[in-house]
Amino acid sequence: MSAQKKRNFQIEAFKHRVVVDPKYAEKTWKILEHAIHEIYNHNASGLSFEELYRNAYNMVLHKFGEKLYSGLVSTMTSHLKEIANSIETAQGGLFLEELNRKWAEHNKALQMIRDILMYMDRTFIPSTHKTPVHELGLNLWRDHIIHSIKIHKRLQETLLELVQHERTGEVINRGLMRNVTKMLMDLGSSVYQEDFEKPFLDVSSDFYRLESQQFIECCDCGDYLKKAEKRLNEEIERVSHYLDTKSEPKLTNVVEKEMIESHMHRLVHMENSGLVNMIVNDKYEDLGRMYNLFRRVSTGLLLIRDVMTSHIREIGKQLVTDPERLKDPVDFVQRLLDEKDKHDKIISSAFNNDKTFQNALNSSFEYFINLNPRSPEFISLFVDDKLRKGLKGVTEEDVEIVLDKVMMLFRYLQEKDVFEKYYKQHLAKRLLSGKTVSDDAERSLIVKLKTECGYQFTSKLEGMFTDMKTSQDTMQGFHAAVGAEIAEGPSLTVQVLTTGSWPTQSVNTCNLPSEILGVCDKFKTYYLGTHTGRRLSWQTNMGTADLKATFGKGQKHELNVSTYQMCILMLFNNADRLSYKEIEQATEIPASDLKRCLQSLACVKGKNVLRKEPMSKDIAEDDAFYFNDKFSSKFYKVKIGTVVAQKESEPEKQETRQRVEEDRKPQIEAAIVRIMKSRRVLDHNNVVAEVTKQLQSRFLPNPVVIKKRIESLIEREFLERDKTDRKLYRYLA
Amino acid sequence: MSDLDDIFLDADDFNSCLPLKKVPYGDVFEASRAGDVDRLKYLLESGVNVNARDQWDSVALYYACLAGHLDAARMLLESGAICSEHTFDGDRCHYAALNLKVRKLLKAFEARPPPLGPLQAALRDTFLACWANRSFLEQSEGQVPISGNSENGGSSPSHFPPDVVFYVQGRPIEAHRVILTARSPFFKKKFQTEWKDRKEVRFSREKLSYHALYSLIHFFYSDRLDIAVDDMEDLVRICKVCKCRSLQKVLEKELIHQKYAEYKALRDVDNSQKRFILQGISLPEDDRLPNALHKILQIALVNSNREQNLKLDVDGLICLVSSMQISEFEEDHADVCVRVDKKIFRCHQVVLASRSEYFKARLSRMKDFLEGRGCLPDNALPCIEEHDLTVGAFEKMIEYMYTDGLKDIDPDQAEEMFDAASRYLLFPLKRVVADALLPHLEMVSPAELCHWLVLSDMYGVIKIREYCLDAMACNFETFADTQEFRAMLLTLPPPSGDSSLRTTAPSAPGAEMSTAEGNVLDDLREKWLEAEAAELDERDESALLFDKRLEMLMHIAEQERANGLECNESGEQEPI
Repeated sequence: MSAQKKRNFQIEAFKHRVVVDPKYAEKTWKILEHAIHEIYNHNASGLSFEELYRNAYNMVLHKFGEKLYSGLVSTMTSHLKEIANSIETAQGGLFLEELNRKWAEHNKALQMIRDILMYMDRTFIPSTHKTPVHELGLNLWRDHIIHSIKIHKRLQETLLELVQHERTGEVINRGLMRNVTKMLMDLGSSVYQEDFEKPFLDVSSDFYRLESQQFIECCDCGDYLKKAEKRLNEEIERVSHYLDTKSEPKLTNVVEKEMIESHMHRLVHMENSGLVNMIVNDKYEDLGRMYNLFRRVSTGLLLIRDVMTSHIREIGKQLVTDPERLKDPVDFVQRLLDEKDKHDKIISSAFNNDKTFQNALNSSFEYFINLNPRSPEFISLFVDDKLRKGLKGVTEEDVEIVLDKVMMLFRYLQEKDVFEKYYKQHLAKRLLSGKTVSDDAERSLIVKLKTECGYQFTSKLEGMFTDMKTSQDTMQGFHAAVGAEIAEGPSLTVQVLTTGSWPTQSVNTCNLPSEILGVCDKFKTYYLGTHTGRRLSWQTNMGTADLKATFGKGQKHELNVSTYQMCILMLFNNADRLSYKEIEQATEIPASDLKRCLQSLACVKGKNVLRKEPMSKDIAEDDAFYFNDKFSSKFYKVKIGTVVAQKESEPEKQETRQRVEEDRKPQIEAAIVRIMKSRRVLDHNNVVAEVTKQLQSRFLPNPVVIKKRIESLIEREFLERDKTDRKLYRYLA
Repeated sequence: MSDLDDIFLDADDFNSCLPLKKVPYGDVFEASRAGDVDRLKYLLESGVNVNARDQWDSVALYYACLAGHLDAARMLLESGAICSEHTFDGDRCHYAALNLKVRKLLKAFEARPPPLGPLQAALRDTFLACWANRSFLEQSEGQVPISGNSENGGSSPSHFPPDVVFYVQGRPIEAHRVILTARSPFFKKKFQTEWKDRKEVRFSREKLSYHALYSLIHFFYSDRLDIAVDDMEDLVRICKVCKCRSLQKVLEKELIHQKYAEYKALRDVDNSQKRFILQGISLPEDDRLPNALHKILQIALVNSNREQNLKLDVDGLICLVSSMQISEFEEDHADVCVRVDKKIFRCHQVVLASRSEYFKARLSRMKDFLEGRGCLPDNALPCIEEHDLTVGAFEKMIEYMYTDGLKDIDPDQAEEMFDAASRYLLFPLKRVVADALLPHLEMVSPAELCHWLVLSDMYGVIKIREYCLDAMACNFETFADTQEFRAMLLTLPPPSGDSSLRTTAPSAPGAEMSTAEGNVLDDLREKWLEAEAAELDERDESALLFDKRLEMLMHIAEQERANGLECNESGEQEPI
């Protein structure tokens, strides 16, 4: 590098020549100041960007940054003061427009100024920790325009007034509002919050407090909710149109608090239009609105839920304890189902399928269904009714729906074992009398019970179905083996029932007619021949028979009767008149059954194949019976049903109850032993709690009973009391 | 940076698991494997590609991780080695990491993309600032696009308007002709022929993948390819069409890797998440962004010169002739003319605006100011004029703006370059010039060093300033004897009385000022104290001594100046 070339070297950098002029800074600043004025006066197109930038750059470079910056501040301030004056003098409605226009101008000017002073913005300002030009412009605007005494209050009032106008239904210039609020936000969120949002929220709060007071005085609940919803939507819309999005939660909060929270209780309990009324009248729309509005308030849903729950409990309690209703079990259950459907629909269509509401509904149902101790029986009767006749001509899906609903009620039951007991009885009757409409429906219900309560619960019920199936096979085998021998005699169908699977019945055999007896003996030998080591006993009380009879005028009828009735009628093959005593002796049918049979044979109009002396409704010990020659019927087949009590009579009920209690004993004992076996030592309260927990799916054991079972187990030396602590039990094994 | 400081690495972590050895002649792979940090540093500084693969298809970082050389790995990562687990190489490094510490290090670097050069970063920002392109980015990151900013047009500060929009599979990609022309012969041809006057181009071919094309165009701007592995085959096809041969070659090779790396797909089920990242440095130099833009710049310069001559020759017929000429000269897609000292340069708005905030504001403000008024008559291009700038400096400056580098620079120009760099807010340019200047400073006179110190302080060129201060502190007596040095003292602001700077007491936190803005004399004193290596407890006294010394020198200088003025008044003779 040639040192020659730079021999003529100056200390002053080549730019320094401009600084030689002592007035340089002053002159340059004048140029820039002029430019700023021109920019504010919209004359910028006469300025050269390059020149201005160069001047600003040179000023900063030669350490006149401070002068430039303070000059900028004072120039801008003076302009803003002028602007403030012109805004202040703006009349009435023009005020906001003027403000907005000036703001837009200021913004544009600010950007241009920032661009020409970019070098200062980049180098001088960060190193001296000053406010950048753009921010400076905003701050000055804030201090001299927004916070100027004359404008500040007026601006606030104007804005609030406009909102008030819009709330009362007038049309306002939303674009202008948006620009002004945006300006406040641009000046910093604190400006927006302090100078607009806070007073705005206060005013809104006052407004809605007043309005909601008016509304609640003159509107019913539904109307009020409609209005509240409309207001809420208006406010949300308002935010989206011209407020900061961050204001939305605050604003809706105000509306919620004033319109909903403070009137919540009054709305819900409003007479003739409150929540209960809506539920009763299925006002889904109103309910949905109430749900959506109350959901916004912290305790809103809780309130709805509580009121709904108590309402359902009230209704349900009336339903299950009304003695009128108890007369018809099917209707009773149907009503329960209807009630449940109604509320389900309300929850799904109005309450957004809210889980907590569903839970509340379920617990209410559980509460009142168990208020009535006969609920298990009634539900079983309902199923029986459906499966006997109710399901004819109904599609498979509908059957499923009905069964599912029944299962739902079943779930509410605490004493599931009582239900099982009844269900078993009813199922046995259906199976043996061949009254079942649909095998599939039966099995489907069993499967449902199985998934609900486990294998044990249904194993016996399934056993009943298996018995029916094997009996069919046995009968086929029997007819194939001895069919020829007995072709002349009456045809016999036997159902072999496993003891234990079926509801136990006292074995009251009656004397069968000799014709039947022969066939029966043949079957007995056949069956015992194929199955060794079994015992057969005849359950005559459960059988049926078809008889062919010829009456006086020669007309023939086929009579469908029970086995007992068959026995009685067969006696009349040999005699026309028999007294009660004679019949009783000949057949040895138990008195209550006999009376019932005779009643149905002699006292039912249209089916009176026997004639009774004297003609009275009830059967007495000294009555006499005649073969009714004059019997006539339109049908060839005549079905003579036994007069059966569909519902259990009081003593029967007691009996069933007792049986249930009896059955529970071993179950409770088993549970106790299971628990003690694993725990070894446990105190009384815990034993009771655990037993209750284990057996919950079947029934709710009574603590007293549990205590008794524990004592019995102690007696049998399964358990012992702890020597020191009498409350503790020990497992012995 | 902060996430780097967070990973806590003990000093003994750097005691390598394998014995370090020196490989004075090894390549980057050997150096990484051996953990020879010195060699590695030398290699990296000489500009070797950190992400290159050796004959075993392994990258240097892989070896460093495998051998557990934490400091070597860190050095590689800091130089931009790819370590994202989504990539083939990065995944391999994670897999091979010797121990948890290495893995931690990789994780810490994973979140940060490797640094881009100033040119690439600037153009990438411009590309991503285009509304349509940004919306893609936001979508892929699962953010909701902010609708408010979209329609601001050219005036938005972070936005430079694109001049062509592609619609692929119904989705827009915004781009600038000149960039595409520079990077792909295919686009170059298309823009000269079919798409000459079109603002938007719709691709209707089903097979053309939006993601692949987006990635490619992003690559055109930033020299970094970041693409999902699933889209790579599409990209290869596009490369074939666009005649980006070297990129295509690299991709084809990578595809084979991906095929063999398929077993990894079992692990991360979502294959679309797997990405491939390619740094421009992996491509031959000719195909990188600076070179491509350099070519365009050359064409534009040639065209500028031709126009200039033409204009001088036949001033009157300019319109006619130039319109004829346009078809003859190679299209440069220039969209703005810059007039510097009577010479007109054809330039590209997108490059100027991306590199310099000044030009961005200037170009978007054309309408608001005087410049928007008169167009020069020779063609339809808008023209801006820059004063106080020489043709040579402007040429150098645009060379830097286009290529991120300067071929050679005359120290005589350096001063003007510093000025231009400050004025046009091209701060990285200062560094480049300073680097070029430093060797010259070693043989200049003390007087000249004083000059450079004043300059570097004014323009904030730290490197030069430090150098000058060091030289002065070490040779203080020599300088004290120099008249220029004494004269300089007068022009500088007096030393501060800030005791925290001269005493050993720790200064209050936050009170430090950056060296660029510090007081020159304070810094000189500090350097002098350092050079004199005064005892710590004597620092204050030494500093006082120095201050006294300075005061004396300044006194002399003042006298000299008075004499000098007299001298100047009496005769024109300049001493020295």
